[in-house]
Amino acid sequence: MSKSCGEALMHLLEAYGVTTVFGIPGEHTLELYRGIEKSNVRAITPRNEQGASFMADGYARVTGEPGVCTIITGPGVTNAATGIGQAYADSIPMLVISSANDSPSLGKGWGRLHETSDLCAITRPITAFSTMVHDPSEVPELIAQAFTVFRSGRPRPVHIAIPIDVMEMPVADNWQPYKTPALPIPGKDAIDEAASTLAQCESSVIMVGGGAQHASNEVVRLAECLNVGVIASNAGKGIVSDDHVLSLGGGVISPAVQNYLAKAEVVLAIGTELGEADSFIYDLPVNGKVIRIDIDPARFSDAFPASIAILGDSQSACTQLLAALENQDIRTRSQNTKAELKQVRIQQNTDYTDVERQHIRLLDALRDELADDAVVMGDIAQLVYTGTAAFKARLPKTWFYPAGFGTLGCALPDAIGAKLARPEKTVVALVGDGGFMFTVNELATAVEEGLSIPIIIWHNHSYAMIRDGMVKRGIPEIGVNPVAPDFIKLADAFGCPGFNVSSEDEFRTVFRAACEHQGPSLIIATENDDWLT
Amino acid sequence: MKTCGEVLVELLDGYGIDTVFGIPGVHTVELYRGLDNCKLRHVTPRHEQGAGFMADGFFRSSGRVAACFIITGPGMTNIVTAMGQALADSIPMLVISSVNHTYKLAMGHGELHELPNQRNLISGVSRFSHTLMRPDELPELLARAFAIFNCDRPGPVHIEIPIDVITAKANHIDIKIPSRPYAPSASAAAIEAAIELLKTAKRPLIIVGGGAVNASDELIGVAEKLDSPVVNTVNAKGVIPYSHPLAIGGSPSSTIVRDEIRDADVVLAVGTEFGETDFDYFYLGGTVRNGKLIRVDIDSAQLTRNQKADVAICSDATLALQMLQQRMSDNFGKDTDGVGRAKNMRVLLKESRNSGYESFFSVIRSALPDVIIAGDSTQPVYYAWQHYETEFPRAYFHSASGFGTLGYAIPSAIGAKLANPSRPVIGLIGDGAVQFTAGELASAAELGVPVIFLVWNNHGYGEIKRAMINGNLPQIGVDIHTPDFLGLGKAMGCESVRAQNLGQLETELQLASTRQGPSLIEVRQEDFADGYV
Repeated sequence: MSKSCGEALMHLLEAYGVTTVFGIPGEHTLELYRGIEKSNVRAITPRNEQGASFMADGYARVTGEPGVCTIITGPGVTNAATGIGQAYADSIPMLVISSANDSPSLGKGWGRLHETSDLCAITRPITAFSTMVHDPSEVPELIAQAFTVFRSGRPRPVHIAIPIDVMEMPVADNWQPYKTPALPIPGKDAIDEAASTLAQCESSVIMVGGGAQHASNEVVRLAECLNVGVIASNAGKGIVSDDHVLSLGGGVISPAVQNYLAKAEVVLAIGTELGEADSFIYDLPVNGKVIRIDIDPARFSDAFPASIAILGDSQSACTQLLAALENQDIRTRSQNTKAELKQVRIQQNTDYTDVERQHIRLLDALRDELADDAVVMGDIAQLVYTGTAAFKARLPKTWFYPAGFGTLGCALPDAIGAKLARPEKTVVALVGDGGFMFTVNELATAVEEGLSIPIIIWHNHSYAMIRDGMVKRGIPEIGVNPVAPDFIKLADAFGCPGFNVSSEDEFRTVFRAACEHQGPSLIIATENDDWLT
Repeated sequence: MKTCGEVLVELLDGYGIDTVFGIPGVHTVELYRGLDNCKLRHVTPRHEQGAGFMADGFFRSSGRVAACFIITGPGMTNIVTAMGQALADSIPMLVISSVNHTYKLAMGHGELHELPNQRNLISGVSRFSHTLMRPDELPELLARAFAIFNCDRPGPVHIEIPIDVITAKANHIDIKIPSRPYAPSASAAAIEAAIELLKTAKRPLIIVGGGAVNASDELIGVAEKLDSPVVNTVNAKGVIPYSHPLAIGGSPSSTIVRDEIRDADVVLAVGTEFGETDFDYFYLGGTVRNGKLIRVDIDSAQLTRNQKADVAICSDATLALQMLQQRMSDNFGKDTDGVGRAKNMRVLLKESRNSGYESFFSVIRSALPDVIIAGDSTQPVYYAWQHYETEFPRAYFHSASGFGTLGYAIPSAIGAKLANPSRPVIGLIGDGAVQFTAGELASAAELGVPVIFLVWNNHGYGEIKRAMINGNLPQIGVDIHTPDFLGLGKAMGCESVRAQNLGQLETELQLASTRQGPSLIEVRQEDFADGYV
């Protein structure tokens, strides 16, 4: 029996393991929805396509599988651009299927509804590839190419645009998934050189990033084998438990951690860009010899060129390194690393500012309430910056802070995506009052889906990070002290409970209730309240 | 020392820009250094999409260009939808953004907010997108932007300034505003050819589009001399007052007007794309024309699109109409029965009106005669085409045509009110669309602007639901959970009421227009009209 291209595509995605798609139906995407009804795929409707791409991002972050958006051309795609950009910056797999205007009209400038001059050109800078389909027969190959990006290389978003006339064309065959290749394995020479360098040096440090999320055991064993400290990037937090004696937590913002890094004779960077957003300084003190493990060869020649470049899957690289180190005399093993790291942590704790201590008061209580596998989705908020270092993540994929693209408003829709993917886990959103307003609408989606998500708002009546920057630089405070809504009434209007909390006990009680509630809850913690100071 | 950022503010002032919309960020704070010592008003939305839509509404309602200050990365991807709407409708808008350091551009180092090749993305939604590499070229770039705004087909312009250039020394920059180019006028030969055709016309028809929004007097002059009825697109509503005996009103998509376009022996089309969203909204097939066509457009490429012209005049609309008018004697149009034909069509269009929507818009007109309406993509807006006529241009506009965005009306109405403080402004929006940009209700409250948000609640995405039913498709994602709009409005700081009948609506509209701050009036479709018919 023949199906429409849109319908067949949905069945193909299901065969690839897609369970959920995020999108607002429009007249241009209706054929995709015909496919959804006849599949086991579930369609989630956000309140703005920006929510769709953030939800897909959250879904992908906790599962490692691509988040899928099904959106309309034109404004649907431009609305989704920010979430796609975030996924691009953090190497998150995401498949964006959009409609396009009918083939004959493309590029003509006829003034069609939702028209753009060149849709794929808009998304090209934020995707691995962005392609316009001309004929249904191209679809299975393009989807295979997309899944190869997701599974066999540096994952990034992919955009496939399907003109409405193509979307409706009948297709005869049952489309089947292609077999996607496994991640490439590093070559032995690079491993051997790295192993002997690591064994012979006096001091080394491991920096671990999002590219090693699936290699937690191997990274821990490597750190233990070498007896050296581990610094996680924002995206690498939890790969080595923050409670591990060799862990220095996440982020490289603390001067104490930076000093420790500066002293290392060898820096082993695993699956990390060593990006600015991890340190917020432009000259990260990497003085030692740099060994880099990365799936993306472009990384070896960036701001921190690799002396030894190991191209391939981080998990395999770590396993091979461990094997190569087995019979070596490792000099760092006899050093008193643990005592030194303890001193760094003590210094780091001493350096926290008063406001950061307020954040930590809340974060510690939150940690105490959460199971180890609970997921925390952080927004661009001061509470979350502090948490990068101070929150104790114990497992990979449990703490997310998309600092690279730095998008306000991602936490709530990302948490929705995560909760839909992992309903059995507690999923919490941490967000500032300014960032929350960017995507406040998605509260309605969380209510509609009955998703139990505690949303913790750190309320300081401002875009505080920017305000502080203006004050420091003698710039007038313009536009940084927005008037916030009444969050409790706002929650009520959306049909969810909202609480101002004024003591730690109250926070814990309310948080437990929020975890039980079959929908989102707002929990407002106000900076400088007595219980936090 | 004066920085490039400070000089930029001085230049904007020189060009008569008085309002800038933006959310300051780490990368744009230096643009704010000059802001406290100048006349420029800064307005902070809750999302950069709001900034763009505000600037759009500001211009459409006043003809005055506004600027946006936007951070690189997510700020730009957030505003891209609003730029798309502005480009589709030829609305000028000056978007100034930051971008990462000159020496970091497109390096892919993982900088905060990094978007490699940001300009490629923005090029698709702007007239041009340029990276300023040193302060010296800033005056030239702004001159180019304003040349496009004033004497070319307008649209958004994007200038991105690397953060090291924003802070670069700029004392030497000459801030004198250069003379602006005059708009191009029509060639004498083209006018002659047009006059030759018009001379013979027995059944002429004038079609006026957004390109003629400033040419009311000239258009009326030509119409009267030619004795020709005038039909308008949405963007040209009120260019000829509806009370004028030659005005038809309505929409070129209605069959009554389509028949007249078909049967006219000479059509004079001024500043219109012949776009599908104005001319074939009900998908009845392309515009059919049996007579000759004279087209006037400032964009030479547009003269080749959609409809083949017999005489194509590349010119500013006002100047071309002036020239045509000069070549027409007082009794130029003979036996064309323009007034009679216009009256006939007006009567037929009125008879085809829906009584529910007719009463709804009558109440708005009588309660607030000089109101400006910013419409979204929502049910009553589709009806406004044929049920709401105006006496002036720039008094009604909406986002349902062209790019077709949802969530436009709230921020656009705020922008319109800021540009027209003495006139009442309504943002007419559906319940689905409200949820795209609800955060901007808080911006209105903060600004204390008495905008009226008229929320048409039909409990879901009515138009798409209808399409799913008609297409024998599952109704997925169209019956959405909506917030309690009155509660939402109150939480955001708007006076919020529900109007259940026409009398209440009239009273509430009048009350709202006397307030100092924003009002939200919810109307439920079932109280006022049938669903889509």
